[in-house]
Amino acid sequence: MENFLLRNIENPNSADINEYLKVGGYKNLTKSLGMKPKDIIEEVKKSGLRGRGGAGFPAAMKWNFATADPKFPKYLLCNADEGEPGTFKDRPILEKNPHLLIEGMVISGYALGSEYGYIYLRGEYPQAKDILNEAIKQAYEKKYLGDDILGKGVKFHLSVYQGAGAYICGEETALIESIEGKKGQPRSKPPFPVNVGAWSMPTIVNNVETLSNVPYIMEIGGDAYSNIGSKDCPGPKLFSVSGYVEKPGVYELPMGISLRDIIYKHAGGIKDSKKLKAVIPGGISTPVLPADGIDCAMDFVSMPKAGSMLGSGAVIVLDESVCMVRVAYRALKFFEHESCGKCVPCREGTDWLRKILERIENGKGSEGDIYLLSDVAGLISGRTFCPLGDGAAGVVTGMIKHFRNEFEEHIKNKKCVVS
Amino acid sequence: MFGETVLKEIDEIRVKYPDRRSALLPSLYIAQREFGWLSQEAMQCVAKALNLSESIVRGTASFYSMFKHKPVGRHLIQLCTNVSCMILGAERLVDFLGNKYGLQPDGTTEDGRLSLVVMECIGACGTAPAMLINTDFYDNLSEKRIEEILEKYK
Amino acid sequence: MISLTINEKEVTLDKPVTVLEAAKQAGIKIPTLCHHDLLKPWSGCRLCVVEVERMPRLQTACTLMAADGMVIKTESEAISNVRRGILEFLLINHPLDCPYCDKAGECELQDLVNKYGPTVGRYKEEKRKVPESHKDQIIARNTERCVMCTRCVRMCNDVQGASAISIIGRGNHSRMEPFSSESFDCEYCGNCLTVCPVGAILSRLYIHSFRPWQVDKEVGTICSYCGVGCSLVVQVRDDSIKRVIPKLGFGLNKGLLCSRGRFGYEYVNSPDRLKTPLVRKNGKLEESTWSEALSIIADKLTEIKGTSGGSAIAGIASPRCSNEDNYVLQKFMRVTCGSNNIDSLSRTGFAAAQKYFEDLLGQGITANIIDGIKNSEVVLVIGGDPTAVNPILGLSIREAARRGASIIVLGHAKGLEKFKTVQVVPPLFKEAEVLEALLVELFRAKGVRAELPFIDKEMRELSEKAAEKMDLPGFDELMKALLNSASTSIVLGMDLIQRTNGHRSLFGVAGITYLLEARLYLLSERPNEQGLIDAGCVPDMLPGGRPMNIPDFKSKFEAAWNGPIPDDDGLTLFEIIEGIKNRNIKALYVMGENPVFNLPGGPFLKDIFGNLDLLVVQDIFLTETAEIADVVLPALGWAEKSGTYTNLERRIQLQKQAVKTSRGMEDWRILSEISGRMGQKMGYLETDDIMREMAKVSPLYADLTYDEIGKGDCLWPYHGKPLRGEMNEVPPVVDAEKDYKADFYLAPEKLLFHSGTLSRKSPALMKICPEPTLKMSAASAGKLGLKEGDRVQFSTTAGSSEAPVSIDESIKDNRVFLSNNFQGSGVMDLLSFSIDEVTKAFGIEGCEVEIKKHGIKA
Repeated sequence: MENFLLRNIENPNSADINEYLKVGGYKNLTKSLGMKPKDIIEEVKKSGLRGRGGAGFPAAMKWNFATADPKFPKYLLCNADEGEPGTFKDRPILEKNPHLLIEGMVISGYALGSEYGYIYLRGEYPQAKDILNEAIKQAYEKKYLGDDILGKGVKFHLSVYQGAGAYICGEETALIESIEGKKGQPRSKPPFPVNVGAWSMPTIVNNVETLSNVPYIMEIGGDAYSNIGSKDCPGPKLFSVSGYVEKPGVYELPMGISLRDIIYKHAGGIKDSKKLKAVIPGGISTPVLPADGIDCAMDFVSMPKAGSMLGSGAVIVLDESVCMVRVAYRALKFFEHESCGKCVPCREGTDWLRKILERIENGKGSEGDIYLLSDVAGLISGRTFCPLGDGAAGVVTGMIKHFRNEFEEHIKNKKCVVS
Repeated sequence: MFGETVLKEIDEIRVKYPDRRSALLPSLYIAQREFGWLSQEAMQCVAKALNLSESIVRGTASFYSMFKHKPVGRHLIQLCTNVSCMILGAERLVDFLGNKYGLQPDGTTEDGRLSLVVMECIGACGTAPAMLINTDFYDNLSEKRIEEILEKYK
Repeated sequence: MISLTINEKEVTLDKPVTVLEAAKQAGIKIPTLCHHDLLKPWSGCRLCVVEVERMPRLQTACTLMAADGMVIKTESEAISNVRRGILEFLLINHPLDCPYCDKAGECELQDLVNKYGPTVGRYKEEKRKVPESHKDQIIARNTERCVMCTRCVRMCNDVQGASAISIIGRGNHSRMEPFSSESFDCEYCGNCLTVCPVGAILSRLYIHSFRPWQVDKEVGTICSYCGVGCSLVVQVRDDSIKRVIPKLGFGLNKGLLCSRGRFGYEYVNSPDRLKTPLVRKNGKLEESTWSEALSIIADKLTEIKGTSGGSAIAGIASPRCSNEDNYVLQKFMRVTCGSNNIDSLSRTGFAAAQKYFEDLLGQGITANIIDGIKNSEVVLVIGGDPTAVNPILGLSIREAARRGASIIVLGHAKGLEKFKTVQVVPPLFKEAEVLEALLVELFRAKGVRAELPFIDKEMRELSEKAAEKMDLPGFDELMKALLNSASTSIVLGMDLIQRTNGHRSLFGVAGITYLLEARLYLLSERPNEQGLIDAGCVPDMLPGGRPMNIPDFKSKFEAAWNGPIPDDDGLTLFEIIEGIKNRNIKALYVMGENPVFNLPGGPFLKDIFGNLDLLVVQDIFLTETAEIADVVLPALGWAEKSGTYTNLERRIQLQKQAVKTSRGMEDWRILSEISGRMGQKMGYLETDDIMREMAKVSPLYADLTYDEIGKGDCLWPYHGKPLRGEMNEVPPVVDAEKDYKADFYLAPEKLLFHSGTLSRKSPALMKICPEPTLKMSAASAGKLGLKEGDRVQFSTTAGSSEAPVSIDESIKDNRVFLSNNFQGSGVMDLLSFSIDEVTKAFGIEGCEVEIKKHGIKA
């Protein structure tokens, strides 16, 4: 499959608008502005595009909810708060292909009747901020943004909003709170952002990758797009591969490719020919899979059946040298650090889990601790305000399910037995 | 108090959003740039510039980990230690910074040159371990490489 | 109609509510820690989970809307497991210090753990340790006990609008703090205390002094401070007030209080209270007996009435006293003393404006429900800061702002700084011109309303006279907002009335009200300014707003009161003062008022009061006026007696006795005693007797009873029919063509934390705000080279004083402000004044003041 999302990124000047135009950039915008907004949404619907942020919600359905709401203005927010540990797939788009995202947002804005877009960019990407701002400036100059885009009377304004270091802001309602200048604590749903979102107006929040797929859909048509990859969730998907592989990096591959192929065919297999121990398939909030559990199709529908989730498609490969208790501890340290504090089970539970894991890892665990871990994870799971707490509980449950012996060894030997 | 130029900069941000409070995070970044960290005075300046309550400003700022609530050194190292970086040796690098430079997480060297913050994922897992120094990005880190890089930050 | 089943009980709802609310309506309590009826749903504690048929997960009842056909269980094993789990989480960091904690006994966490467990905790690591903070003089903060429900912060932000506290940090490392981390420096409403479920926020007025179960009795009453009349509960132990708390969901304040209402009750037990009658002997006030003091007064009044006639006697009524007290005072004046010279200090503001508006627009024009403000599209605030004068009314304005209303401030209002949409600053002392210009523009845009021909004509004449449109920043925006508004509230403070031509502003406001069909609210500093008017404590009207000059009315009252009422209209406040100066008035009877301190020109008043043959003051403290009286009588105060009060909405409410004391006598009883000694028996045994009489004679109170009033919704026009008053002419306008070119002008300021006589004897309020400050704009301070806290000396032609400087961002002109609350340093003594011939209020504009940094010689 030819790259689309990562097209031309080897070109050192790929972020420049002229380079983007050379490879056919913004022609999909021209084409789209010649269509009726509802026909664009129809194409997206036909394409079967699902949100790439992690939840896999059908994009066209979200769009239709938003356009059905009679209130204006509507806001289009691009979720560029790529915070899920292990994930770095949006970064090449933001830094090397920013005009693809801008083109996707203008087309989407036109389709949605939205005249204002904001890219909520995580604070940890300062370079991306400069690159995006420059790209936006160029797009304004060439009339791809502004009050009268390409002389078609279409209006769309775009700017970057810089986050400031809060993982939870990747959750769409937390992102909305944050762009309103508040703490990034998730809101109750309903009302959903498509009806009452940023500044109380209908708001569409889509991931960088989702919006960057829109020009492609317009290029090849919804039907052709729907034939790429999995039937239930088609299209190209960016996978971030990290950890113990020969060739870590971001890969644009068809949705539904097997996890084994990602690791062995594309990422060059396990580094230094060591033994594979486990894979975290979709970013740190997705349950770990053991070495023999990687023959699964990487898409939103198949992964839950395989005992995990696609998440953001961030594949973290762990070899035999890695201590799973330590990974769990580090993961929980992350969740505890990032818990927004709004709900009790997440705020108190992640801290408690971290402390139990810490004592096990440090050889101070006691016999009942594995049961306690499972039980506390159970007190969190399904009871939190947003999925962050579920993720934390799932990590612990998954680790104990597949690597219980390692926990037991730590407790028995009163020290870490792996590294 | 903020000077005219900064107030103008904040005003320009303000008009981009339907509500003045949206300008809070960008203004806090500006205050951090101007004061080096978010001192009480810095937050009071932001509160005044946006006509927000001081307590709202402080509460919001304190939620986000990239806002600094104590003075930091001339150069801020933000080193990722999340799983992908951890398994490839990030924790050793934290120890290295401690041993070689006397720099502890959340600490500043005595000469005020360097501060260290241990970060969650900074999106460089494919080239782990990685760090930011101020807004410059460095990856594929090793002890030796860090030593070389830090030569540039005096 | 929504029907659902909760715990096998059929519940029918007439409007959509949450499952939590639906259950509450059905008498089913679902446990919560973060939810509070005064706040919006938060859904953080997860304790309110319920089972809903055909829904996969447990749902939080506080956020789930009840839907038709839902089948809900609020208790089950699964639910109990969740709740036990949540409570185990909360107890990880919560100290087990219940035996020591003041909240024990009314702690929501304690009650929940008692019900749902767990019995033991499995957490092994160290608990969070944070020392209790005593850095604030009023609020004790113990964040160790905090369960992070955020109720306090949401109350402070979303309801009170003070935004003084917030959660600092994120997740498990966060804590509630004020901005300074130490003292709260807030509005001290204490509404955070009301909502805290645990012992994390407590009042230092009562910690370590009693336990909730030791309260002997709780008395539901109303507040004694301002014209809003909030409902509150007084908790009493051993005949002393232990605590004042609100009653949730009750009264017009619905569970909210302000600093004065919540923390200002300690004056009741002040050691400075008057204990026995005092009689001036050989030039000195000496302790006396009731019988001696009352006889002296009766004899002297009888003598003066006999020699100089009733018109040589005058009375000053009290907006701090009840309707019953004031009714008896005016009856005493009119019938026993034979004088219609009865007025009050409300003449200087509320009563003057109220009369003007009622004459022009009809009776009841100011009778509007405070709660209605929040639904306005535009709130126009003029002549004062509602959040300071009437704090709970101020909250409605803030709520309107949150709901998207335009808040337009003409002048300045500090408490609305963060809520205002536009601030229009009139040229100095030219508010009337701005209001007239506004009226003209509105009239030109809206045309003739043709309901009150007389006002229509006046407006037409004004608009013909007016030349250009006013060029003032914000004026156009103000105009546009008013023209586009479908519902406008106008909130008028007294500052504009206290002008030599204050009536011109009043006409402007009346015209705008009329043209826009706006709701008009008069700020009222004292609890019974409206009530004393209704009770007849005005020189030209009998109780119930019955004009003196209609013989039918007069004869009815004479029959009921068993005695003649003089024919002439009595004198208004400043006419009485003039009368004292000219020695036409020989006796002044002052009930619960302190004119020497509360009126401008105090030294002058003190001087001319020396002309009187008899000055009687009945009060609860030895006020500046009492100090120069011939006889001083100790009265009973708030919480010591019962009676009704009429608030600025014209809502009659019942204030109830909570504690007994032998110090003094009710105001009405004192008057009744004197009247009897003067041969006019009143025959009242209790307040009920007075109320019964008022209900009989006053058409306003027709058939009212305490039982009915006690229900809290006795709003004008009660049972009686409103009398439509009418004014046939607007008095001619005297153009005061004066330029105000001085550097600084002194003006009075109303404080949130003080009212004067009562507040300065309340230790908590004195701790919050211990001394007056001279408030000025940043520009003025800059001009004088002053910074916050610098002490300055300032002087006017009337006198001089000193105070620290306080910079107020909301002030945009060169006026400086000083309050009139602290003994020995009130602003009124420094002001010279004139009289508005229409409203008979004083005008105190243009008082030049010279300001010097302390210690610097000129």
